[in-house]
Amino acid sequence: MSRSGPVKGLLVAVVASVAAVAGAQFHQHRHQRLPIVAGPAVARVASLSEYGEGLARTMADTKVFFLQGAEPGGSALIMAGTHANEIDALLSALIFVENAVVEKGTLIVIPQLNHSASVYTRPGDGCPLFYGIETPWGTKVFRFGDRGASPLDQWPDPDVYVHYPDAQLLSFLDARNTNRSWPGRPDGLLTERVTAAVMRLLAEERVDIALDLHGAETMFPVTNCIVAPERSMRIATMASMTVTAMEGFENHVEPSPKGFRGLSHREIGDHSDTAPFLLEAPFPFLDQPTGPKTRDLLMTGRDPFLLSLAGQQKLFVPYDESGWPIEKRVGQHCSVALEIINQFSRKRADRAIRISEVPRYADLVRNGVGFYFHDPSKADPARVHLD
Amino acid sequence: MRGTWRVAALLPLFLVALATVPFHASGQEAAPKAALPVLTTSAGQSADVNTVNAIMEQAGIKYDYCDVPTAAMLKSGVGLGGAKAKPGFHIESTTDLAKFKAGTPYRTVVFALGASLKGMGASGLTVETEVRRVTDLIQYCKQHKIFIVAVHAGGQSKRGAPGSDNEKMIDAVAPFADYILVAKDGNKDGRFTKIGQDKGIPVSQVDYALGMVGLITRLFE
Repeated sequence: MSRSGPVKGLLVAVVASVAAVAGAQFHQHRHQRLPIVAGPAVARVASLSEYGEGLARTMADTKVFFLQGAEPGGSALIMAGTHANEIDALLSALIFVENAVVEKGTLIVIPQLNHSASVYTRPGDGCPLFYGIETPWGTKVFRFGDRGASPLDQWPDPDVYVHYPDAQLLSFLDARNTNRSWPGRPDGLLTERVTAAVMRLLAEERVDIALDLHGAETMFPVTNCIVAPERSMRIATMASMTVTAMEGFENHVEPSPKGFRGLSHREIGDHSDTAPFLLEAPFPFLDQPTGPKTRDLLMTGRDPFLLSLAGQQKLFVPYDESGWPIEKRVGQHCSVALEIINQFSRKRADRAIRISEVPRYADLVRNGVGFYFHDPSKADPARVHLD
Repeated sequence: MRGTWRVAALLPLFLVALATVPFHASGQEAAPKAALPVLTTSAGQSADVNTVNAIMEQAGIKYDYCDVPTAAMLKSGVGLGGAKAKPGFHIESTTDLAKFKAGTPYRTVVFALGASLKGMGASGLTVETEVRRVTDLIQYCKQHKIFIVAVHAGGQSKRGAPGSDNEKMIDAVAPFADYILVAKDGNKDGRFTKIGQDKGIPVSQVDYALGMVGLITRLFE
């Protein structure tokens, strides 16, 4: 045995140990389930694969919650987790699922649209695998996901992603992005099968409006806004003006570009009878020039580098020492979503949707996000769903 | 946690309250009055024209809308001569044709002020050609005694340094308007107030764009 033998052996042992620890963490992240307590209005919990057989028995299949009103009316869909690293969307969707009382019409919620992305992490960025939300009954733990589906579920990536059906050439990264794969196709890539299933759901359930919840960098101009195509523009504008005037946070409307394909706010409008809206809340965690991607940054949005950039007027949102805390971001999503539903219902009384018991911006700023989550250990086990 | 219904129930009261906000008039004391039929359009092709149309709808005012009308189209009156929407050219007609048949001359034009290079590009315009188009419309309105309303609803994001695109649109319309409506954030430097004082134009400032609903209702009463 050479003299370097023990060194080589030690190195192999170190690498194997690191791989074993990381592998165990990744395995836990991929298989840990999120308990969701079905609120009073949840009448049915389906799997998205019921609308797209190609999703059955894949990691892309995901839960669909149907919240039914006592009176018939219209139908709204709230989607979160299109980008599983934009956590405010998921938290807002769960607040609707666990608390909403639907008095008229139907509310459908898909909390983790790109489920495969929610069981994948962001390699190389040092992002946390999990984060916790403090509640009155303890810490509720969530997986921190990625922007795109896991390559364990959809691989290999193409050199260039060719959008269906417009054949627009997009980045290879966007092949795993469910906000570039609309309207999808039942026999396409896994991400295309997800969006194709939602398109079928929109048609079969006669969904009037679809809200896709996101978070965006503070250095990106399309933030703090509703993105809307022509058919949604009037409702979006009224919703934006109303929350700005009555709830004290800035919100504006961005027109959906016609030439940029694959996005929910464009393709749902072009390929269905549903009016789409994409909601962006400011999410400093996504900005590139920040300090370490810590859980604290995730929760508070406080970062000294962004503060410096704000002083140089490089940000597209107001920013001070308080950052952009999670209560404000989730509060904005809840208020804007409720206001869009309200404005739609005012225009279309025959298809109105009436929802109560969902907190608005001021409620969330006052009480915090965790206040609205229910303890799964105290709930009726039949009402607890693992997603 | 009855927030949704609290807000919904308070909205009408809020709009009434906003409608009674004291008038910040410059140059004349009486609230101006405008007549129908009315055309809404953009000066600068920003999305703020959607805000203006939403305000008109909320105020219950029927209107025609075109993003890039020419003076010749304006001359065609209600229905804009039957022009049809196409890429880069938007048109909408909600004017009550029972009251104002097609071709009835417009008596009011509402301009939404705010520049968007993306919006102008989509309509094949540059800042210069857009200013020229708007100037032609203003001249036509002046010659035919058409009431001009300038609306600046975009706040600070639709302002800029002197000579910038947004300021060029303001220069093209506001000094020639018969009435100026501005959201507070867009008038932090008092630019619209000064134009009103210098030119004798009534100026109404509101805290938020939603507050313009009541003022537009009163304008067309």
